[in-house]
Amino acid sequence: MNNSLGPDWAVRTEDVWKVYPQEPSPVEAVRALTLEVERGDFVAMAGPSGSGKTTVLNLLGGLTQPTRGRIWIGGRETTAMNARDLARLRLEHIGFVFQAYNLLPVLTALENAEFTLLLRGIPDDERRRRIEHLFGEMGLAGLEDRRPAKLSGGQQQRVAFARAVAGEPALVLADEPTANLDSVTAVALLEIMQHLNQEHGVTFVFSTHDPRVMEQARRRIRLVDGSITEDVRSAPVR
Amino acid sequence: MKARALFKLAARSVGRNARRSALTAAAMALGLALLIFSRALAEGGHEQWIDSAVRLGTGHVAIQAPEYLETGRIEHRLDSSEVARAAGALEAPELSGLVARWTQRLSVNGLASSAASALPVRVEGVDPEREAAFSTLPGLLQEGRYLEPGDKLAAFIGVELAHRLELEVGDRFVLTAQAATGEVEGQLARVVGTFRTGVQEIDEGIVHVPLPTARAWLAAPGAATTVAVLLASSRRTDEAVETLRARLDGDRGIRVLGWPEAQPDLESGVKIDDWGDGIFHTILFAIVALAILNAVMMSVLSRQREFGILQAIGLTGMDTSLVVFLEGLFLTAASGVAGMLLGFAFTWGFFRNGLDFSGMVSSEMEFSGGIIDPVIVPIFHFGQVLLSAVTIAIIGTLASLYPAWRASRLDVAEAMKFEQ
Repeated sequence: MNNSLGPDWAVRTEDVWKVYPQEPSPVEAVRALTLEVERGDFVAMAGPSGSGKTTVLNLLGGLTQPTRGRIWIGGRETTAMNARDLARLRLEHIGFVFQAYNLLPVLTALENAEFTLLLRGIPDDERRRRIEHLFGEMGLAGLEDRRPAKLSGGQQQRVAFARAVAGEPALVLADEPTANLDSVTAVALLEIMQHLNQEHGVTFVFSTHDPRVMEQARRRIRLVDGSITEDVRSAPVR
Repeated sequence: MKARALFKLAARSVGRNARRSALTAAAMALGLALLIFSRALAEGGHEQWIDSAVRLGTGHVAIQAPEYLETGRIEHRLDSSEVARAAGALEAPELSGLVARWTQRLSVNGLASSAASALPVRVEGVDPEREAAFSTLPGLLQEGRYLEPGDKLAAFIGVELAHRLELEVGDRFVLTAQAATGEVEGQLARVVGTFRTGVQEIDEGIVHVPLPTARAWLAAPGAATTVAVLLASSRRTDEAVETLRARLDGDRGIRVLGWPEAQPDLESGVKIDDWGDGIFHTILFAIVALAILNAVMMSVLSRQREFGILQAIGLTGMDTSLVVFLEGLFLTAASGVAGMLLGFAFTWGFFRNGLDFSGMVSSEMEFSGGIIDPVIVPIFHFGQVLLSAVTIAIIGTLASLYPAWRASRLDVAEAMKFEQ
């Protein structure tokens, strides 16, 4: 996949803080986060509710800006970008998958998956070729014309992953992608993520509560109160 | 490609919440339909007022001596050569199709006397044939007949005058007025017919006599105080006035007036009614604007997560606002078309023969010298319908701007927390 943005690492942060002004005292959602994620890595973030997982993903994706610190996606510093450039970066280099309600309800599965390609001006035949290939790989063939309301939760998440990787991004950020799925569907989705990571070299950073999902990650980061308390790299248990 | 994606998203989103879109569209469509109906009714009413008033008055266009409008005196009359020039000008090729008919009148204020009483009246010397086709009075015959060519001492009077002077058809009475010589002259007349308009002032105050009789009585051979012109449409008054002024330019003895100048009361009345309509239409537009604003705003507020997703996958705030704005425009366009069709269908289907208000009035109404028919026939004007449609489009556009702006200002991270 064409996911090269520059150096060997896909993500780099330097002393990133996110503080929400609140009464009686400000809330430090992320504290002194310094992190590097190599290209092609498969990184899971765990931690209790309120530990800052979603905020970290939002910061990495440029959905929110840090109170202080710097963030690079590939070689580009997102903390120095304006909103328009950030949107462009997300469109071309970052894929997002959320916990639920990921898809645009008025578009079919195929239209959802190809939406970012359409925004980027990818020609019709190229779009269809990529999506058909992904749908085949992800077990979505035959569901192209269904609206999200007519898809199961697992199918919706697979379509969301298809959309996230269709543009061959450097990085896919996923916020608890298996949280709303039953265990069988969650495992199947995890296998798809691993397939995309191993076969297409997509870098994944995702948050999870699920120990089985954690076990599959090559790198496991634990967050508590907005800080990294554990960062372990190991071969995944297969 | 990007525009295509946003266009598709907006179009589908309008159809997504079908009930809300349908209710909003229905409110807008009904508003526009009501507007079209109301405008058509107002146009019809105004046209009827004008038609009635100018037929009893000085026509859509009046050709008079320069001072006559202000004085109303016989010394400010058109002489025979000026009447002939005016009549010649009316035969101009560029006025064919514009001038429906014309007549000439010699009018004075005078006194009508009988053995029973005497009353002030407006005496109009008229050409019986031309007047029968021009004025509404001959059609309101109550008893007897209207004037005919060859009549000499005949008079056509209102029923109230006949009653006050205790006259019946066939009875004689005397008309007295100041003649062109400056002397007060009397003229014997015989009642040949009476009319009833239902308006006291007209039924008591107007007397028609043959034009030759009036000219002889008032010592004004060949003269007329007004050449009154009826047009095919009151909307073409300015065009007719300009053409006639161009043809009669340089003739200092002649002044050409459109009905707004010749009958300023009538113009004021139409303007005041237009103001009333304007206020009503403004309220209507405000309701329609609020309906659009409410629908689009509700849509934006309930879809924050969706807009968050759109921005997370690469849309800019401006792109998101464009989607919302397009939704508002689609809703406006669909409702506009539906409203126009409904407005036409309603007005044409139910009221093509007029809307009868006679149950709401006890008798004939008078307005600026004209009799108001309680049956108003709506009139469509392409320009008015186009103006209504354009106004609705502008309102739809403006009402979509705020929700679109709100969508562009979305905090994406916060929006993602929003539960659909």
